[in-house]
Amino acid sequence: MSSVDMNENIVKVTIDGVELQVTKGKTILQAARENGIYIPTMCYLSKLEPISSCRMCMVEVEGVDGVILSCQEKAVDGAVIKTNTPTIERERQKIVKLYDVNHPLECGVCDKSGECELQNRTLEYGIDRQEFAAREQHRPMRNWGFISYDPSLCIMCERCVRVCNEIVGDEALQISTGGYKSTIVNVKSDDDCAECGECMAVCPVGALVSTDFKYSANAWELRAIPASCAHCSAHCQLNYEVKHESIDNPVEKIYRVTNDFEFSSLCGAGRFGYDFENRASRRDEAAFSRAVEAFERAENIRFSSMISNEEALLLCKIAEKTGANLVCDEAKAYQDFMRAYSRASGRRLYSGDLKRVAKSQSIVVLGTRIYDDAPMVKYAISTAVKREKAQVAYLHPLEDGRIRNIVTSFVKYEVGSEEGVAALLAATLIDRRRAPEKLLKLIDDLDIGYLSAESNVSEEELEEIKSMLWKRRRFTLIAGADLYAHPGAENIAKYLAVIERYSDFDLIIVPPASNTLGVSLICELCEMKEGYTVGYNAPGDFVLSALGDGDLDMPALNQQEGTFTTLEKRVVPTNAALGYEGYELADIAAALGIEMENVVDLTPYLPEERGFRRVEFDSLENGFGIDGSDRRGYELEDALFDSQELPLEPDELESFDGTIIYRCDEKRQFNPFTAKCSQLSAEEAVLKGSAQFAAAAKLEDGERVSFEVDGIHYERVFSIDTSMKGTVALNPTFDIGLSSFAVSSYRFSKAQIKKVGSDDE
Amino acid sequence: MSLEEFKDRNIGTQNYRMLDLGESPKSGMEKFKQVVERSVKLELFTGLKVTFREMYKALFKKNMHTVKYPFEKMPIAPRYRAIHQMKRLLESGHYRCIGCGLCEKICIANCIRIDTRYDENQRKEVSEYTINFGRCIFCGYCAEVCPELAIVHGGRYETSSEQRASFSTLEDMLTPLEQLAEQSEFPGFGAISPNADENVKKTPLAY
Ligand code: SF4
Ligand code: SF4
Ligand code: SF4
Ligand code: SF4
Ligand code: SF4
Ligand code: FES
Repeated sequence: MSSVDMNENIVKVTIDGVELQVTKGKTILQAARENGIYIPTMCYLSKLEPISSCRMCMVEVEGVDGVILSCQEKAVDGAVIKTNTPTIERERQKIVKLYDVNHPLECGVCDKSGECELQNRTLEYGIDRQEFAAREQHRPMRNWGFISYDPSLCIMCERCVRVCNEIVGDEALQISTGGYKSTIVNVKSDDDCAECGECMAVCPVGALVSTDFKYSANAWELRAIPASCAHCSAHCQLNYEVKHESIDNPVEKIYRVTNDFEFSSLCGAGRFGYDFENRASRRDEAAFSRAVEAFERAENIRFSSMISNEEALLLCKIAEKTGANLVCDEAKAYQDFMRAYSRASGRRLYSGDLKRVAKSQSIVVLGTRIYDDAPMVKYAISTAVKREKAQVAYLHPLEDGRIRNIVTSFVKYEVGSEEGVAALLAATLIDRRRAPEKLLKLIDDLDIGYLSAESNVSEEELEEIKSMLWKRRRFTLIAGADLYAHPGAENIAKYLAVIERYSDFDLIIVPPASNTLGVSLICELCEMKEGYTVGYNAPGDFVLSALGDGDLDMPALNQQEGTFTTLEKRVVPTNAALGYEGYELADIAAALGIEMENVVDLTPYLPEERGFRRVEFDSLENGFGIDGSDRRGYELEDALFDSQELPLEPDELESFDGTIIYRCDEKRQFNPFTAKCSQLSAEEAVLKGSAQFAAAAKLEDGERVSFEVDGIHYERVFSIDTSMKGTVALNPTFDIGLSSFAVSSYRFSKAQIKKVGSDDE
Repeated sequence: MSLEEFKDRNIGTQNYRMLDLGESPKSGMEKFKQVVERSVKLELFTGLKVTFREMYKALFKKNMHTVKYPFEKMPIAPRYRAIHQMKRLLESGHYRCIGCGLCEKICIANCIRIDTRYDENQRKEVSEYTINFGRCIFCGYCAEVCPELAIVHGGRYETSSEQRASFSTLEDMLTPLEQLAEQSEFPGFGAISPNADENVKKTPLAY
């Protein structure tokens, strides 16, 4: 870059006498904050677009009459800015006073006390008397399930509404306007919004609080332990906040989860599913020696991808020592998929990340129920839709009514036809000028008519997707968990790879479970062999379980230190929020003759040849910079290979008829650990289908049914969901314990559904 | 400074008055003489005279100086900081404590603990409150910080008991309901100033 462009991108401003160089396009507030200059705000939140409603952020600019709002005004070259003058100070005082009108004097009991922005501003501006008044309104409290809303504490900053629209994309909150009577209403009522708790996290006052946490502790009593959410591959930044359980019980427990809401978000699982710790705190020596024996004689070590990178590496070392086979069902399919992808794309890791998704103008989603599978990806998509007016094509056999507001076109394909759809997408999206001859020939030879008829994706629909690219920039293709265990997975991976390679599309291959990406990079995985199996959080002949139901107890992921590999291709640290007295995997490794003290000693030994770095665990940061830059852990190194395998023509497409069951843990449920959490455990696992499904399977709403999928027998209530269509029903697996970690087949399956009552007769 | 110098240092210009105690006896003979002298002159009865006078006053004039502890107790000054009391609201009898946790936070000995919860009436309920008197140093900070004048120091200074936990729960410290009428405002540490009313700033009301 020449120095001339450099200068074009930099503007010089002077704030409070300090000369600053800031990137063009930044607002005055951003410029000030990045340089540690304080400007008070009330309605502003870094991750949202400014709405400039509070006027707290006013500043004076030399040569400009009156004040300007720094949260929305861009910094222009040469501007001389004052953040505080006597006039501004008086104005701000008045604003805070107005916020304080009729604000209940209940800081003494309010959950927000100690971290309340209104409390802080009121003290900051020394408000000790009030001269404004307004007639108080009757404002009853509302209970929205996980969240309670107290309108009399609300200052109408609209942060909650904006975060729900802009970030979460649920559009559940609205303002019921009426001047001083205005309140926030949840139009999705009790149980219909994502219940992610984002609104509650960003609320500057105590108007939105957790129903469960309410009045149980004060902000200053809790000790925050910075960690990463263990439930899905986003591994969001969070703090577990702990305090002793009660006067009678000094053992610590997690009271709530908070996060750096200025820059990052959480979903409901992360926010409310935190107490999945294993309380078994006894050192059971007999069980321990049985475990060591079991490892010594095991043919297979089977584990789940709810594991830290270090423990995955430790399992590799154990397997090396004992000669056992490493089996991780979820990760194996993903590993094979990624390897096929690499052979075709010539790179180790996919190119996309969530920041780029949020900035995309066209997004194509293939083979995932994104709302449930990867909330952070869905957040990023909804941000793109709201800010960039992105067009979203959602290709999946099941339409998802909950994201109708962000999806431009639903493209419904036949179950099982993913390979064909991937081929069709490749034919649609590849930039012909860039693609090599051979690929063009392959694409031209595709029998589009046949593929389109079999997969039920019409040529018009493909045209529509193509038109989404017109006059737009920044594209992302998101591929998900339906694809990895598909019989044609390898070919699908290659189609995705060529799309990424020969078009402007970024690609994200969403890891299907918690640390699947990490496991797939660290471990050499195999198929199960005949013989004795040790299961680590997975079924086996000898089971080590963090759920507490196995032969030897293990600490859960909120009781462990370590790192995770995220779908953003970062390695992020997590810390132990709660103590654990029992044995850990490291003890077993030690008994097997692998020397080390703590499992985090292994952090620097994560395989460098797969992109990990030689850094000590203790040197990893877990947070965001003052400017919002991601400082969590480090980014995996990508690698380029000289390889450009091409996909093959898709095989004959398998057809699925009749009643089909789709494996899917909805909303806040991801695995048996979320199911165990006190706030989420009330959710019953039901087989959920449309009215059409009910008719096809001859079922009534509320009937008990039984069926078998992947060799697992399920017995559950069938419930009709009127928002669903088609003949595919959703079957969760979060309630079947560790067995759920051993299920990794293609997500759709045909099933014989029997009524339980009629069986007995 | 050496020890010698330290002892010899100038410690000021106070006017010390030396007591005129006379010479102490030195030889054995002198000591013997002193003993004989004191016995024969009956100096002992000079002292006993006071005793008999007071005994007479106590027995026959009802003028007794001895406090018959534990049947009698000395009055305690309002600023004395003894075992805490929890006050109630006079109107409703409900405990005043709102569970704000400020006393717990400020406690210098870290001996206060509170459990709170959201109760059926949408209020913050103090489900349990304890002070570990084995650690309390009676500094009075808790009483001073309490915004509700709920926790105060009482005059109960006898802190021996069979159980460490005695008189340290909310139940123990609360004014018994039947004595609510006699509950007095606490004038000691952390109480509002007598002219508090004058300092109150009024908030305008729109109705
Ligand atoms: S919980 Fe989430 S989805 Fe529901 S209203 Fe709040 S931000 Fe919106
Ligand atoms: S509920 Fe909270 S975040 Fe929402 S408008 Fe009111 S104060 Fe703002
Ligand atoms: S479950 Fe996934 S999306 Fe939700 S908070 Fe945890 S890591 Fe983030
Ligand atoms: S008197 Fe001092 S040490 Fe005792 S409970 Fe109160 S604050 Fe704590
Ligand atoms: S400071 Fe007073 S009101 Fe607050 S918790 Fe302590 S006793 Fe209760
Ligand atoms: S922060 Fe700028 S107007 Fe509210």
